Amino acid sequence: MGKFVIRRAAQAIMVVIAATMLLFLGLFVLGDPFASTGDKVVPPATQAILREKFGMDQSVPMQYLTYLGNLFTGDLGIDLNQRRPVADMLGVALPNSARLALIAIIIDIVIGVAAGIIAAVWRYSVWDVLVTILTTLAIGLPTFVIGVWLRQTVSGFWIFPQVPRTFTELAPWYTEVLLPAFTLAIVDAAFIARLMRGSMLEVLRADYIRTARAKGLGERTVIMKHAFRNSIIPVVTYIGISIGVLLGGAIITETIFQYNGIGFLLYRSILQQNQPVIMAIVTYAVLAYVALSMIVDILYAYLDPRIRLS
Amino acid sequence: MRKKAWLRTAAGLTAAALVLTACSQKENTGTSENEGASTPSAGWPETAVPELKEGKKGGTFQLAITEPTAIDPYNAQESEGILVATQLFVGLTTVTYDGKTEPGVADDWETNDDCTEWTFNLKTGTKFHNGEEVNSESFKRGWERVAAKDSASEVAYHLDGIEGFDEMQAGTATALSGVDASDPAKLVVKLTDPNCEFYIRTSHTVFSPMPSTAGSPATNTAFVDQPIGNGPFMMDGPWQHDVGIKLKRFDDYTVQDPAYLDTVEITIAPNGSQDEYAGFQNGTFDWARMPTPVLQQARSTYEPQGQWITRNTNGMNYLLTMVTQKPLDSAKARKAISLAIDRDSIINGVFKGSQTPSTSLIPPVFTEAYQEGVCGDCHYDLDEAKKLAKEAGLTEGTELTFQFNVDAGHEEWCAAVKDQLETNLGLTVNMNGVQFTDLLNNEQQPGASGIYRAAWGADYPTPGNFLEPLLSTGAIGAEDNEPVTGDNRGRYSNKKFDDLLADALKEKDDAKRITLYQQAEKIAIGDDQALIPLWNRTQHRLANTKDFINVRMDFHEDPDLRVISTK
Repeated sequence: MGKFVIRRAAQAIMVVIAATMLLFLGLFVLGDPFASTGDKVVPPATQAILREKFGMDQSVPMQYLTYLGNLFTGDLGIDLNQRRPVADMLGVALPNSARLALIAIIIDIVIGVAAGIIAAVWRYSVWDVLVTILTTLAIGLPTFVIGVWLRQTVSGFWIFPQVPRTFTELAPWYTEVLLPAFTLAIVDAAFIARLMRGSMLEVLRADYIRTARAKGLGERTVIMKHAFRNSIIPVVTYIGISIGVLLGGAIITETIFQYNGIGFLLYRSILQQNQPVIMAIVTYAVLAYVALSMIVDILYAYLDPRIRLS
Repeated sequence: MRKKAWLRTAAGLTAAALVLTACSQKENTGTSENEGASTPSAGWPETAVPELKEGKKGGTFQLAITEPTAIDPYNAQESEGILVATQLFVGLTTVTYDGKTEPGVADDWETNDDCTEWTFNLKTGTKFHNGEEVNSESFKRGWERVAAKDSASEVAYHLDGIEGFDEMQAGTATALSGVDASDPAKLVVKLTDPNCEFYIRTSHTVFSPMPSTAGSPATNTAFVDQPIGNGPFMMDGPWQHDVGIKLKRFDDYTVQDPAYLDTVEITIAPNGSQDEYAGFQNGTFDWARMPTPVLQQARSTYEPQGQWITRNTNGMNYLLTMVTQKPLDSAKARKAISLAIDRDSIINGVFKGSQTPSTSLIPPVFTEAYQEGVCGDCHYDLDEAKKLAKEAGLTEGTELTFQFNVDAGHEEWCAAVKDQLETNLGLTVNMNGVQFTDLLNNEQQPGASGIYRAAWGADYPTPGNFLEPLLSTGAIGAEDNEPVTGDNRGRYSNKKFDDLLADALKEKDDAKRITLYQQAEKIAIGDDQALIPLWNRTQHRLANTKDFINVRMDFHEDPDLRVISTK
């Protein structure tokens, strides 16, 4: 097990270095953020001062090394537009996004797993058909369609705050987070329901389930203790990967609901060519993705001994 | 087999569509020619500006903007940042809503004979929001804070021409040697070159005074996010980034009449006009811009209710022409292009009337300098266009580069221009949509040819701020084989034009200076067609006139918050 973890961690570090290097080249070498403001050319003297201010007057390899060094110390620099510490901007947005992702995942799992189990256990029943129809619908509808529709129809009613509203009209955080979380969760919940149903059905046909039943165990014990643990493996993998997808979906969802999270910050930064912010967010996304897939792999290895031996 | 039948049908349909469009194009040009004779201009008329009425203290005005770069004058630059900075600060002079320069903190000003030394006499006893007195030292402090190299201000170049500015930008000086504040009631400014309209320039927010707590360089984030100014409104708490900015009335404001409104709540709505429009519809905001596609519908709803504002503002949309490169290296060729564009039909067709065609470079908002029709060839005249094209060697199949920036709503009208040039003059137009930064970069390169989409707005209310940066030889800032470093990317250069601009800056009399600018515009636009004006910058706003009076658009296209009052 220890060997497996070390091997997996070494791979992860290589991926991080390669990804940041590519990102850095793509962002800092291709675009010049100081050439113009609107329709106006920035005077060359001003451009030179700005380059010096943001450390872009150095050679590219030097800039990359400085960047990597700063990354280790947690210094993300200042943004090109408002000159605020990037760490502060992330500090505001990150908890919001984490809250959104967490609630979305909870909704995902609760709805998805429950629907999947019900559909599998009562196969071909009305419930099963209903789950199939609803999941098909949910998977077919893109996130932005669901998001825009919810914003148009539900925002402003009951506890859901109006979008847009004035900033002085305060809304408790949970009212703000519910609609975007639901929007984010709905497609994933459908996928999880299908995955859960499929893998549950497969497991229910396995020999050891028949053995368990033959031993005289109750149906509830058979399903919840024996079938559940084995059929949840693909769902765990999927949730691990879907956190990355959640961040991607969060760009759209957070933008629709103007939810002040990482995805929305990234969207605005891309529009502004605000490279230090884009760089910081994407680097952290890469780190998070790599770390999560590592954890999933290790979890996998723990759940299934065959994996760690090969 | 079935597939092939499908293909045949599709091909047939495409051919039919082509024939139909060809017909409709011909028909189009025919009708617009007739229309051109009867209705000289297209577009919605400007709405009346309300007479100012006596207001009463109180009320909250709500509006939304996108997150500004800065609200501190040292780096406030786009419309949103200027909106806030203008409420917080007032400089030596101010701009009225219709583009005239009025006294601000300076009561009056005088200059020496060659306009290289300016003396501003300041009002005494005016105060910053913290109670500190505003004197000449406050201005010197503010300007030096902007010019300091470590402030790295993106708008510092407006101070260019003040003695000692270059040294401060280079980091070799810590004070502006040309600014003398020894007398608290007098600010004396020395310039490196004559500029008889320097006082107009000082209306820009970058020339704001600063209290002693501001600190220099401008890296004190606590102040930058909650500036202490001397304007009609003050910050009510710091700027909540990506959330909002709250302003409250400054009761000791004595530079002009104080404001009526108690508070102004500026919500930061990231999707810009889309959010503003939605917010106006649901009653959240009292002022809104709109996305272009909804303009027509919004106008039909709100115009009858008197909640609609249309104004031609400080700006111009035009085609940049590369005047040193074939095929547009002659005035005749450029005039042929201009005459072959049917502005009215594009405005009615693509813009649904929300723009007005232009016949000058200096827009109508500059009422004294505006010369309607100074561009004698800014109308549609097919015969003349063909004649000039022939003389200029623009023959059937001549290739013309046409670049524009994508994702900014320019696709449709650019396609219409391409279509008209191809149909009317037989040119082969190589239209190319690129990213905005690439567009500017391509325009700057030596050897760039053809036409480019362009727009311009002046930083200060003087016609010179159109003519000098866009067309003077000095604003090329490069040899023929180097990329342009200024804003004259068409590389137009005319000695007579340059001389007139130089004379204008040396002319102390305002009226005479305007005449010189007009003569210069006549040469560059009327005679040489150095640029091809298309349509004015026409702006539309929704304004809550049900609950508020005196709602008008200021020179920066923002609501004139100081005069607005509840009913």
